[in-house]
Amino acid sequence: MSHVLEIRQLTKKFGDFVAVDNMSLNVREGEIFGFLGANGAGKSTTINMIASLLRVTKGEITLLGKNIEKHSKFAKMNIGIVPQDIAIYEDMTAYENVRFFAGLYGLRGPLLRERTEEALEFVGLGDKATSFPKNFSGGMKRRLNIACAIAHRPKLIIMDEPTVGIDPHSRNYILNSVRKLNDMGCTIIYTSHYMEEVEEICTRIAIVDHGKVIAEGTKEQLKAIITDAKEIWIGVRADEPLNLEALKAIAGVNAVLQEENTIKIVSKTEINNLNQIIQQLIKDQVEIRSVEEQAPNLETVFLTLTGRNLRD
Amino acid sequence: MSEMLWLIRKTLMETFRSKKSWFTYLGLPIAGVLLSLTMYSNAGSGTIHVGIINQDGDQVITQDSIRFIERLNHVEVTVVDEQTMREQIVSGELDSGIVFEPGYAASVREGAPAHLNIVSVKGEQVTAYVKAMLHSYIGNLAAIGKAVQADEAKFTKLYAAYHEQSYKLSTVALQNNSNVARMTNQSIGFLIMFMMFSAVDMSEIILKEKGNRTFLRLLSSPMSARSYVFSNIIVSMFILLLQIIVTLLVMKNVFGIDAGVPYSQMILPLFVFALGAIALSLMTVAFAKSRAGAGAISNLIIVPTCLLAGCFFPMEIMPVTVRNISAFLPQHWLLDTVNKLQQGYSLGSLYLNIAILLAFATVFALIAIYRFGRNNDSRQFV
Ligand SMILES: Nc1ncnc2c1ncn2[C@@H]1O[C@H](COP(=O)(O)OP(=O)(O)OP(=O)(O)O)[C@@H](O)[C@H]1O
Ligand SMILES: [Mg+2]
Repeated sequence: MSHVLEIRQLTKKFGDFVAVDNMSLNVREGEIFGFLGANGAGKSTTINMIASLLRVTKGEITLLGKNIEKHSKFAKMNIGIVPQDIAIYEDMTAYENVRFFAGLYGLRGPLLRERTEEALEFVGLGDKATSFPKNFSGGMKRRLNIACAIAHRPKLIIMDEPTVGIDPHSRNYILNSVRKLNDMGCTIIYTSHYMEEVEEICTRIAIVDHGKVIAEGTKEQLKAIITDAKEIWIGVRADEPLNLEALKAIAGVNAVLQEENTIKIVSKTEINNLNQIIQQLIKDQVEIRSVEEQAPNLETVFLTLTGRNLRD
Repeated sequence: MSEMLWLIRKTLMETFRSKKSWFTYLGLPIAGVLLSLTMYSNAGSGTIHVGIINQDGDQVITQDSIRFIERLNHVEVTVVDEQTMREQIVSGELDSGIVFEPGYAASVREGAPAHLNIVSVKGEQVTAYVKAMLHSYIGNLAAIGKAVQADEAKFTKLYAAYHEQSYKLSTVALQNNSNVARMTNQSIGFLIMFMMFSAVDMSEIILKEKGNRTFLRLLSSPMSARSYVFSNIIVSMFILLLQIIVTLLVMKNVFGIDAGVPYSQMILPLFVFALGAIALSLMTVAFAKSRAGAGAISNLIIVPTCLLAGCFFPMEIMPVTVRNISAFLPQHWLLDTVNKLQQGYSLGSLYLNIAILLAFATVFALIAIYRFGRNNDSRQFV
């Protein structure tokens, strides 16, 4: 299987701060490649380097076999980027937005019109072509943001959190269009803070932390890393002050995290430490409302490997 | 190249779609012309009709005073009798009447001018100019009179000497002071300020695009940062040139202001100045952190410098120190060029002025480029 994108020992420094640290990755043709990482992990920085928006400090990026710095125009023509922050003109109609960005890739005339209409239809904004985005909902803006990136039919589409802060309807629409784009032959890099999304649509996933890839593979491969782990969820009151450090100190506990009214604890399967955990909570006078054991999922993997939650 | 044209087209379309742009780029300079017109055009066609009654006989001083008024620019003198003057002032044929009463010449010679009567119906402004000129003229004569203490022979000698130089002086000064020339300079003064603001407005598009992230999307397309900035400059040049041409056309064809210079000759210096304004605005944008910041910096720069350079008031009323400072302002060199053109210099002979304007543009542009280049990542500026 050929590689659409190859990243070799990529490093990006902002002053002394290393945002991307000696990262290596391959994205194969036809994949939906998930890029998972907590806030500040270096996802956007990596994506901006692939999109030629940031200069590479060290290392090399190759797109379809060509170095992107040496063949910058070629690389740009073959990449479509859906930026994390919505990048559209509020004072131009949806149609004009897509048309303008597609035109930057050299499309003109009837072909330009055709591709523009197609892209708008694709994200479900066909009937909103002549409306101005300032009257759009968050979800519609996100969809327009996608349309602007795909009208020139790039080989590789990079989506940087395309579903942030939108309604379930728009989210489903977007996830479906990602699949459809993939079916049409596009390779996709997808970043998200929503584990369910990544688990649902990605064929391969890289987990990034502190600018490094700490695990890479299919869902199954990733889950296999932690066959010896289980996740325990303990229901508590949302405003309960907790002594998480004491829980982490218990033998067998890999990671502890509080998410609203749930304490999530990743622990080794072979050690039975549930008693100790509960005793500690009682000692801390925590009101326990429920206890359940979860089958390990992608989130367990992420927690185990990074000790952090995907979302803040 | 093709993507630059594409971007330029889009920016122009986006710009001229908003009513605000029409107002800022074309409406304001035209309003400036209108304002200048009302400031200086109380005299209607620009010519003041003055009737003179001489009851003081053939005295040299009286005759010279009348001749002095005749020589004033835009003043038309008719010597009339009292009856006609009254009728003509009432009917509006005359704007003003001046009566030299018996004993006028003698009073001037003695250093205490009297027996001069100025009447007007159109109000102060119309005749203020004639009055002011006449008073300063008579004042000078009276000063000589006082100095020689009624010594007739000495007075005649000094008077003759004074006359010789004062005629020259006053004619040169007068040409500058004519209402129409002032009107032109004033309109250009306003145009200068609005061009500078428009340039900032256009360059701020860069900051706006950074703010709404479209800048990054643009740069991820085959467009380079350099072509992006260059396209922005071309749009600014187009808009400022349009501004210049429309303003001049309106001055010439709508208001019929005779600039005293062919309008076509003013385009070049104005456009060279426009380049400087664009470079300055890029410099502002390069240093500013935000749009609000850029707006604040440019307000802080544009209005005071325009004021110091004489865009709003004639330079003559400014103190000497201010006049010296103004030599460091590009606006001064543009106004100076227009002035000299009005005085009859050819455009070719003013190459130094044009060169100075170009130098300002170059320096501003170099600072902007230096600043853009120093930003963390050249492809991202800031
Ligand atoms: N231009 C910059 N100058 C300095 N530091 C930067 C710059 N851009 C990013 N960083 C830092 O680099 C790190 C990685 O940022 P990046 O935006 O790549 O994270 P991310 O994984 O996309 O996070 P998020 O999920 O919040 O989008 C962060 O700590 C960020 O503060
Ligand atoms: Mg990011």
